[in-house]
Amino acid sequence: MSSPLLDVWEAASGSPYYPAVGKNTQFTVGFVLLLFSLVLGAVFGLNRSFVNLPLLGGPAAVAFGFGAVYMICAVGVYV
Amino acid sequence: MRSISFLAGCIAAASSFASAELNQSKPLLSKQVLPSTFTPPQVFKNNNLVKNINLDKAYPRETINVIIENIDSKPQSEYYLPFETSLISKIGGFEVRDKKAAEKGIFKVEVVGFDAESSTEFYKVTLPEPLAPNAQQTLSIAYSVLSSLHPVPAQIAQSDKQYLQYTFSAYTSSAYVTEKQRTKVKFPNSDVPDYTSLPSELNDEQKADPQKQGATLTYGLYNNVPAGALQPVSVRYEFTKPVTHATLLERDMEVSHWGGNLASEERYWLVNQGAGLKNHFSRVEWQKQSYMNPPTFALKGLNLPLHPGAVDPYFTDDIGNVSTSKFRPGKREALLELKPRYPVFGTWKYSFRVGWNADLSSYLRKLSAGETYALKVPFLEGPRAGEGISYGRVNLRVILPEGATNVKFSTTVPIVENSTSLHKTFMDTLGRTTLSLTAINLVDEFRDRDLIVTYDYPWTAGYRKPVVITLGMFALFASIWVLGSIDTSIGKSKKA
Repeated sequence: MSSPLLDVWEAASGSPYYPAVGKNTQFTVGFVLLLFSLVLGAVFGLNRSFVNLPLLGGPAAVAFGFGAVYMICAVGVYV
Repeated sequence: MRSISFLAGCIAAASSFASAELNQSKPLLSKQVLPSTFTPPQVFKNNNLVKNINLDKAYPRETINVIIENIDSKPQSEYYLPFETSLISKIGGFEVRDKKAAEKGIFKVEVVGFDAESSTEFYKVTLPEPLAPNAQQTLSIAYSVLSSLHPVPAQIAQSDKQYLQYTFSAYTSSAYVTEKQRTKVKFPNSDVPDYTSLPSELNDEQKADPQKQGATLTYGLYNNVPAGALQPVSVRYEFTKPVTHATLLERDMEVSHWGGNLASEERYWLVNQGAGLKNHFSRVEWQKQSYMNPPTFALKGLNLPLHPGAVDPYFTDDIGNVSTSKFRPGKREALLELKPRYPVFGTWKYSFRVGWNADLSSYLRKLSAGETYALKVPFLEGPRAGEGISYGRVNLRVILPEGATNVKFSTTVPIVENSTSLHKTFMDTLGRTTLSLTAINLVDEFRDRDLIVTYDYPWTAGYRKPVVITLGMFALFASIWVLGSIDTSIGKSKKA
């Protein structure tokens, strides 16, 4: 039996969804980002200044944000 | 006067409590309510009707093949099929097709009831094209009757044969006059110790009624049976297999775009509706027998065929991980073989949960237009067993990513309730959009039915999680800087 949503599904047969980072590389990507964030965060901790806050803290926060998402996925909690 | 009506109300309320029983399969159907004077208009006639009752599985499956004729002067499209109210709540998977053109699909079916406490309710079948006067059409009406088999005797010894009793009507209940009809009963084997014999005068061919041939009984032929006529009969037959029934199945499917994963989890509340044990369970006898693997009415194991690509399965119950399971990944299917902690004999219960992961790419597609996604998942997976499994109620949740909107779904499984809500779990700020669907009285034949869900998921919503963590981390760095720059030294602050 044909239904409109089934037609929609069939029409999209050429474009299955793949995430930007596959399941096998989630751990590597997450680990590298978290390590990067740790290093930058440590450097910021050693010389705290208003200039270093966006210069080191900004990239460290972004790396931690994405790194945490990938690391949580890599350990099996698919968020 | 007021006190009398108040008292009557109290009695009615109390009696409804007293008669209330735990029935998870109580229908939620929003019924079309008709006046109590309603009778289906006599616009059809059943020319020839054959009802097949198949007792091979742990639930009876009935198929009515009927040639209907329009005896009215106008085209008609509404065909009614009556059932007792107590029976209609047990009927599942009611589907009507055109026997000669099955590819036309399933006809529209509704339950209609009366406003009064009537004992009869109807299935209203709407024919896709009205039937012209004097024209005929062959309908194939199929349904299952759940929780209707009763073990007789109700308690047997551990290695005895189990016998089940099924009571039904030799006349198919119909809202119209039926010219010719038969009821055929197919048993799993020819061991049928008891069945109701009807007087041969009822039978049009004046033969002994029913006729038994091997594992088949035939009631009829009956001529010109009036509308609404019933003729209750019972059969008792051997069925030394578990009568597995899931009073409740909760099934969750969680979509993760970041992880590229579809996580499935199923929680079962199983009961074996077969005969109970007469004596205590004897482990020694059970172990001695298990080498010979004789037929038994206890549920020993369940096989769950999962779709290929399923990984990381788990099987737990109230105590914790159940280690008696095997997982055989394969190209065609990934078979998950479960063994409950104990053999589930009649009247015993077992509840457990199983779950697994799969790659999202085989279930989710991105539409070319906009940021819309289409998800296609099986509505029901669950165990595959020769004797079949019935489900009183299935609660299915499709947990979509946080921020998904405009959720639409389509499935051929009859749904009694649907809603969209928010489900809060790990790392959520708003909560994930969740589509909840409820179906009642399903059987394992619905395993291959699909559910298609489409939803809009803007890329901005996708970045919610990392952005929230990023902001939190940045706030931490900023507060470290602020706290670090507070001068806490004792004495006068040094200036220049």
